[in-house]
Amino acid sequence: MIELSNVAFGYAEGPVINNLNLQLEKGSFTAITGGNGAGKTTMVKLISGLLKPTSGCVRLCGTDTRELKAKNRAKLCGFLFQNPDRQICKTSVYDEIGFSLSCIGIAGGEADKIIRETAEMLELDTKSEPFSLSKGERQKVALASVLAANPEILILDEPTTGLDYRECMRIMKIVADLNNSGTTVIMVSHDMEIVADFAKRVIVFEGGKIILDGDCRSVLTDERLRCISSVLPPQAAVLGQKLGGRFSGLFTTEEIISDCILQSQCRMHNA
Amino acid sequence: MISIKDFSFTYKGSDVPALSGINLEIEDGDFIGIIGGSGAGKTTLAHSICAVIPHYRPGDFYGSVTVNGMDTIDTPPEDIAKITACVMQDIDSQMTTSVVEDEILFGLENFSVPAEETEQRITEALEEAGIPELRYRNLNTLSGGQKQKAAIAAIIALKPKILILDEPTGELDPQSSVRIFKMLKRLNEEHGVTVIVIEQKIMLLCEYAKKLAVLNRGRLLEYGSVREVLKDAARLKETGVSCPRVTDISEELRRRGLYTGPAAVNVDEAAEIVKGVCEADD
Amino acid sequence: MKGLLEYCRGNSFLHSCNPLIKIAAAFIMCVGCFMCSSLIYVLCVIGITLIAGYSAGVGGKVLKIFTSLLKLGFILLLLQIFFISEGHVLISLPFGIRVTAEGLHFCVLLALRIAGATLPLALMLMVTKMSDISGALVKKLHVPYKYAFAITTALRFIPVFADEMNGIIEAQTARGVEFDTKNPIKKISLMLPLCVPLLVSSVKRIEDSSTSALLRGFSLRTYKSGVKTYPFHLRDAALLSVAAVTSACGLLIGILI
Repeated sequence: MIELSNVAFGYAEGPVINNLNLQLEKGSFTAITGGNGAGKTTMVKLISGLLKPTSGCVRLCGTDTRELKAKNRAKLCGFLFQNPDRQICKTSVYDEIGFSLSCIGIAGGEADKIIRETAEMLELDTKSEPFSLSKGERQKVALASVLAANPEILILDEPTTGLDYRECMRIMKIVADLNNSGTTVIMVSHDMEIVADFAKRVIVFEGGKIILDGDCRSVLTDERLRCISSVLPPQAAVLGQKLGGRFSGLFTTEEIISDCILQSQCRMHNA
Repeated sequence: MISIKDFSFTYKGSDVPALSGINLEIEDGDFIGIIGGSGAGKTTLAHSICAVIPHYRPGDFYGSVTVNGMDTIDTPPEDIAKITACVMQDIDSQMTTSVVEDEILFGLENFSVPAEETEQRITEALEEAGIPELRYRNLNTLSGGQKQKAAIAAIIALKPKILILDEPTGELDPQSSVRIFKMLKRLNEEHGVTVIVIEQKIMLLCEYAKKLAVLNRGRLLEYGSVREVLKDAARLKETGVSCPRVTDISEELRRRGLYTGPAAVNVDEAAEIVKGVCEADD
Repeated sequence: MKGLLEYCRGNSFLHSCNPLIKIAAAFIMCVGCFMCSSLIYVLCVIGITLIAGYSAGVGGKVLKIFTSLLKLGFILLLLQIFFISEGHVLISLPFGIRVTAEGLHFCVLLALRIAGATLPLALMLMVTKMSDISGALVKKLHVPYKYAFAITTALRFIPVFADEMNGIIEAQTARGVEFDTKNPIKKISLMLPLCVPLLVSSVKRIEDSSTSALLRGFSLRTYKSGVKTYPFHLRDAALLSVAAVTSACGLLIGILI
């Protein structure tokens, strides 16, 4: 689905990514984490084709990103930025989503139908003015205009920064639903609690290199993760490791709670 | 000391009050975390304490806000600014110059700090912020965390009694965020600076703040020690505030009747609670 | 252009000169370029600026600005050259369009003058801190601090807005807007809607910036408050005389030709 082979990239100041190899499956939900300046954003921009590798190649569904036109890229791969205000440029939600569609060549009745469907899915009022909404709602508007193109791949660059808990969960629920219906999701995030809740695969990035990669449980409960100071493992995983024994492989609060209840019931039963 | 009495504020052009009926007393030397969902009025509250409201933001002001006995309405904002200092949310707009050293000098010169004192103030501020090596660096070349520290250094050079920060770790990774909070803690403990910080990362507040103030839709929902406030985790979540996951565990165990003690605020406490539930003999 | 006009730290001769003298010298050099219509003279001014740039350790950057100014000059040259039809015809094209020697001289001179007049100012910005420019304006010329601050803030915000614009272009590219079109009119029509997000973020930024400055006692400042004094030294006289002599030569040559 997504294939990076021997990818290297650098800005004028020097290389950021060297010799990176990575494959991501169709329908996967991958979280990419790491410290500030580790090259996470650069990597997802390379995947989306917004940046072109200086050497090596990135293939999306078999096509080299260098050969993709902006229009086709937008249809294939949606990108939600940290700051929705850089994207929103129309004065109504309807026009904003419509603008995305016009960029990929959809107009008229078909566009109208898609706009209404997308707005309904995200519970947005098509008439409201984006700039009068809260940051969380604006993020939803930006997400709606990305999703209108119905991309197979969705990339999120720190989508929950600056959002409160409610807004954050609302956005993540929508993303999780999309993933369940087959969209490949790649998310850059510092918030390991969110990663633990939603991601299936976790990649830890440091100094332009992948240092940990695997399914959510194996990475989040890995001893080595606790040595990487720029990543804060989820509290439940830390708690599980601290408790040891049967708790040591757990990484969500639900698991800890249910195990705890189970053990106390066993104890009462024995008593 | 900051004392806020029956305070309400509505921005000009808005129908809904940004804050209403706020009563709050903040003692000298406190370390307060302000939490709340978006649109709860956190920034408005911070701006009211440092006298941006009512002097630079028009609107309807009711009640009173006094800082060290000075009423923010009657006192020229510059006099309040000598005591309270505020670090803005958008750090790029905070900067007025292009070099770290000049950024610190900017405030010192404005407040006419004598020339013989400035050098010492600059070195001290850089030391306290932990960035003496950045003194001559161009601000555009700094990372997010370094910029944040430079902004804080520029503020603490003015020796404020009260330091207000609006989401200082918003765009920082966990390591840089912890560094900022360690620095705030040092300022608070060693220099007696009152710290008021708006922050979404509740786990940091659990570790560093002494008290939490929870705002919801312009009202003060709760104000008290971290542990007291976190006790009602379900209610907090409804208002858009996230709770530490370990608090979720202790509160879920409480709901099921397996635990009756105080809410857990860190991993160590949660570990004790879980051990207690699993191993205690009746 | 990003980062090209930024201050570069150093302790060269130019760095240590008085900011006011540097501004004055840069302007005198600019004026010199327009006094004289000799191509060689304008090239000399550019040469002197480049040498001064290398002596201050920013030669590479000055050269970079020079080449991008030349590109701009070349576009102007193309726009102008076909409209001057007097004089000795060099090339004759269909539809009565022709390139004349006078036209060519005029256009090349214009392109070089733009470079010659801009470079000294660019160099001055690279070797002088913004805060020193505003500081000296306030201390020595008693310019109200408000205005001096406004000028330096405007300059400081250029890279911030350039960054913001790049981010916006990237976000729009991501949704399928094709910016790498060759058609300039189409490109402008694509750029126009982007002014909305830029405007929204700028207004907020500027408001935050002024609040932050006010909170740090901005309004208390008078010309007496600065810690730094900006004394004049012998080197300032030297710099000023180099600029003055260069400009005077231009004037002289201009009158003689």
